[in-house]
Amino acid sequence: MSEIEERNLKHLDEMTCLLYLERQLDRARGLEVSAHTQECEACRTLLRALERESRLLTRAMLEDTEPLPSRLAHLQEAARRSMQWIWGLAFGLAATGVYALYTGYIQPWQTELERAGFSGTNLLGLLIFQSPFWKGWQPMITLFEILALATLGGLAVMFVRRRIRRGSALALVFAGLCAAMMLPAPASATEMRKGDRVSVARDEVIHSDMYVAGGQIRIAGTIEGDLVVAGGDVEVSGHVLGDLLSASGQVRMTGQVDGSIRGYAGNITVKGKVGRNVMTFGGDVNIDRDSTIGGSITSFSGRLSMDGHVQRDVLAMGGQTNISGVIGGSAKIRSDELNIDSSAQIGGPVNFTGNKPPSVADGAKLASPVHFEQLRHGPNYSNPHYYIWQLIWASAYILFGLVLFALMPAFSSQAVNSAEEHLGASLGLAVLVGFGLPIAAVITCITVVGLFVGLSTLALWYGALHFGLVVIGALIGQWLMGRTRELWPLVGRMCVGVVIVRLLTMIPHAGWVFKYSAALWGLGAISLVVFRRFQPAVAAGAPSAPNVQPLPPNTTIGPLPA
Amino acid sequence: MSAPGIAEPTEAIARAKAGDAEAWGELYRDYAPAIFRFCRRAMPTREDAEDATMEIFMKLKGKLGQYDTTRSFSAWLYKVAANHCWDILRRRKIRQGKETEDVESLPLEHPEPTQLEKLIERRSSEEVRKALENMGARARMALVMRYYSDMSYDEIADALGVRRAFVGVVLLRARHELRQALEGNAALAAGGTS
Repeated sequence: MSEIEERNLKHLDEMTCLLYLERQLDRARGLEVSAHTQECEACRTLLRALERESRLLTRAMLEDTEPLPSRLAHLQEAARRSMQWIWGLAFGLAATGVYALYTGYIQPWQTELERAGFSGTNLLGLLIFQSPFWKGWQPMITLFEILALATLGGLAVMFVRRRIRRGSALALVFAGLCAAMMLPAPASATEMRKGDRVSVARDEVIHSDMYVAGGQIRIAGTIEGDLVVAGGDVEVSGHVLGDLLSASGQVRMTGQVDGSIRGYAGNITVKGKVGRNVMTFGGDVNIDRDSTIGGSITSFSGRLSMDGHVQRDVLAMGGQTNISGVIGGSAKIRSDELNIDSSAQIGGPVNFTGNKPPSVADGAKLASPVHFEQLRHGPNYSNPHYYIWQLIWASAYILFGLVLFALMPAFSSQAVNSAEEHLGASLGLAVLVGFGLPIAAVITCITVVGLFVGLSTLALWYGALHFGLVVIGALIGQWLMGRTRELWPLVGRMCVGVVIVRLLTMIPHAGWVFKYSAALWGLGAISLVVFRRFQPAVAAGAPSAPNVQPLPPNTTIGPLPA
Repeated sequence: MSAPGIAEPTEAIARAKAGDAEAWGELYRDYAPAIFRFCRRAMPTREDAEDATMEIFMKLKGKLGQYDTTRSFSAWLYKVAANHCWDILRRRKIRQGKETEDVESLPLEHPEPTQLEKLIERRSSEEVRKALENMGARARMALVMRYYSDMSYDEIADALGVRRAFVGVVLLRARHELRQALEGNAALAAGGTS
């Protein structure tokens, strides 16, 4: 191109060159610029200079010349520390609540029971674990230890959650279960017998613990250890040197038990001698005239007839209680009806809570008059303890929700949203899971193989019901304070909502409707999220439809290839 | 567009959206250096950049729910950062009575190409960074948005509150200002011949 021709060309302005470089010109203008720069050396130089300037700018800005300042580097650590502070506070509050619960309510009961002759180390151990099944374990496992272990387990899961994937988590759980199952059982010599009719003859001696299962069980011999029986009709006329644990339709004990009797049965009759205590859960409990109980009686039954001799205290709850025997200590009774016969002798105070005043025959020998308290149905709003319990329950729900929301933030958030967005499906599943699952679990329990599965399912269902209430609490909180997708604002809304739900459950006569409706609704929402998570998802690598967008009318183009 | 060397952390974003503090920490660890660098270029001082970075991440916690997962996370992050930095700078300018720039009145001129080429060739990255520190807020912000975080003209227009058609003008004027700061030669920066 000659100098004269070039001079005749009208040069591109810098703006046009820049827009061309940045692909901001429409197609037609872009082609014009491209054609011009083919011929014009000056504009080509300008384009090159602008492009170099762009590259210089990008390089200068991207070059990492300064490290992240320490105060920014520590921001994450500071945030984590603040979270630890919140957790510390939450568990501190929980520990305080547990301490208050223990010292205010459990300990007095325990003291009372200990006074009554039950010298267990704690209430749970006393009720359940003080039996031959758990000998040796009782000092180890307490209610608080289980709670502490569960809390620690939850925290451990929370902290390792990021480092384990779903598959490895499942593997971990199964490995743990297998390891637990492979742990050696407590070593003990045990005689086991089962069949339709099982008997131990009068002259037979079992030098160990004995486990018996059958339709009809007759124990006439001597058991030097503990006797555990499960059957339809059980009669123990022999001598048991240890404890007797029974889960049967009908139990008659006419022999001698040196230890304690723990009976779960439809009908229990004690005619013999018991060295220590009797704890019975049954429809009908008869302590016969010929019986002698060395310790105390605790009975939860439809009808208790106490005609024998009890050296220490009686604690009874049930429909009807009749006393015509001798009680060396005190009697604490809560039942519809209390009848004290003329032959009765009670050495300590008698406290009775019932629907009507006790009937005390003239000849009865009581250390002091019966202290009667009218039984109140429903919550006692005038009792401050009622409000303390409400506070404790609300705190427990909040703590429960806090732990679950922190452990499963995405799941919890989805459950809360499902409860509102998929109301119909949630309510439908609430009915299905709320009523169907426990029935299925009970049926599973009946088959011996499925006992573990059935009980686990029941436990899970029960836990999910409570979590459901928390979920609905969070939903109510969102209604009041607005929707959120973040954890801590959601936890805040959950706290507010749970308090409101608990307040609603305190409404006389209608409170239970709110409580169970909320729990079931929440359970339905949880079930819906679980159901959706098990739905097959599209694989991440699956080919998708091509996403080709049509060119807009003023499509921009960049520099043409040389 | 993404922070250099960082793949889109889809899983961490999903968990952070659900409130997972650990996932949030992961995002912070991965993106804080890039955002700090962005702020360092956009803001006049290091202290301003530190403050802005912290504020941006505080703000992000609340805004993460609004993030559309089908789009680039780093692009969205830079957009939030740009909006935040420009808000600060604009408020500061209004407070100091310096909101006088009129981009629409800027004449478009044609600089001497060879002279410009020489200027660019002679300058190092370090000199460019120093020059950026001496530039006006809008010009610096525009260059950072375009040449650091690769934001589109639409996004720049949105962040700066100008019409899209004038983004090119803003960028060109910013380049002139940069050249002026680099060379101290007003004649060259304004353009010589046309």
